[in-house]
Amino acid sequence: MSRVPFYLRERLDDVKQRVLFETYEAQKLPKWEQVVLTWIVLFSFWTIISANVKAENLLIGGLATLVISLFMYEMLTEDIRRSGHILEKILYISFFVIPQYLFIMAFRLIESNFKVAKHAVFMDINPGIVKIKTELHSNTGITILANSITLTPGTLTLDVNKKLGETYLYVHWISVETLNREKAGEKIKGDIEGWLRKIFW
Amino acid sequence: MIEYFFLLLGESIMVFGTLGILRFPDVYTRLHAATKCDTGGAMSILIALTIVSEASPLIRLKFLVLAFLIALINPMISHAIARGAYKHGIKPKVVVDMYAWDNP
Repeated sequence: MSRVPFYLRERLDDVKQRVLFETYEAQKLPKWEQVVLTWIVLFSFWTIISANVKAENLLIGGLATLVISLFMYEMLTEDIRRSGHILEKILYISFFVIPQYLFIMAFRLIESNFKVAKHAVFMDINPGIVKIKTELHSNTGITILANSITLTPGTLTLDVNKKLGETYLYVHWISVETLNREKAGEKIKGDIEGWLRKIFW
Repeated sequence: MIEYFFLLLGESIMVFGTLGILRFPDVYTRLHAATKCDTGGAMSILIALTIVSEASPLIRLKFLVLAFLIALINPMISHAIARGAYKHGIKPKVVVDMYAWDNP
């Protein structure tokens, strides 16, 4: 490996990434885990929306959401990475990932509001459209990443380009600081991509 | 007491967002103001309503579901409007436009 020239080594890394992306079909969650995750999400939504904790209401809701999740289990959970036991995954997502994400995104949202107020008052804008690369490949992960980029300060996602297993995002940046793709990607994405890569493809 | 803080924060964010919509030069920078300030203002007003209302806690959770839906739908709508405006041919006033380099 060490004697491969550097321009060939880049292409070799590309091919390795491609093979990894092709084999992710074999690493999906098993079917019953998908059904259980979908059922948990739907049942908690039913409980909050109906606002009624009588036994018969919960029984009817549980049966109906179980039937729905037997049909629709692929919609929510087809992009989740396979790792560890399902109970460990549920506890990790609901007690570690979601509170951390909500806490950080709330402060980023308030910061972006103050930044928009500052730009609106002083009009010191320098807008531009830059192109950044992401390591995510699944539709759900790219959607959550693009929405988070839109809510973080000073950036707005314009379009997504997926080709040959690589994903590029076009981002409208209200005050352009750098044109280098890696530096711009670090500044725009921050830590969000790393967290999403733990869960989604 | 803290609900008045959230209400005041939401109102001031909404006012500055409206100022941004009126003052920014083109569609894309106006979308910045519309998306972020609507999301933050509406969410903080909903949190204030959650604190101040005197219903049972399971009913108050519905306000948080509304806040979650706003945070989910608002960026998607802004993305759809921005992409539709670009495909329609509205040129942005920018210093660098990499989207036009790749889609001539």
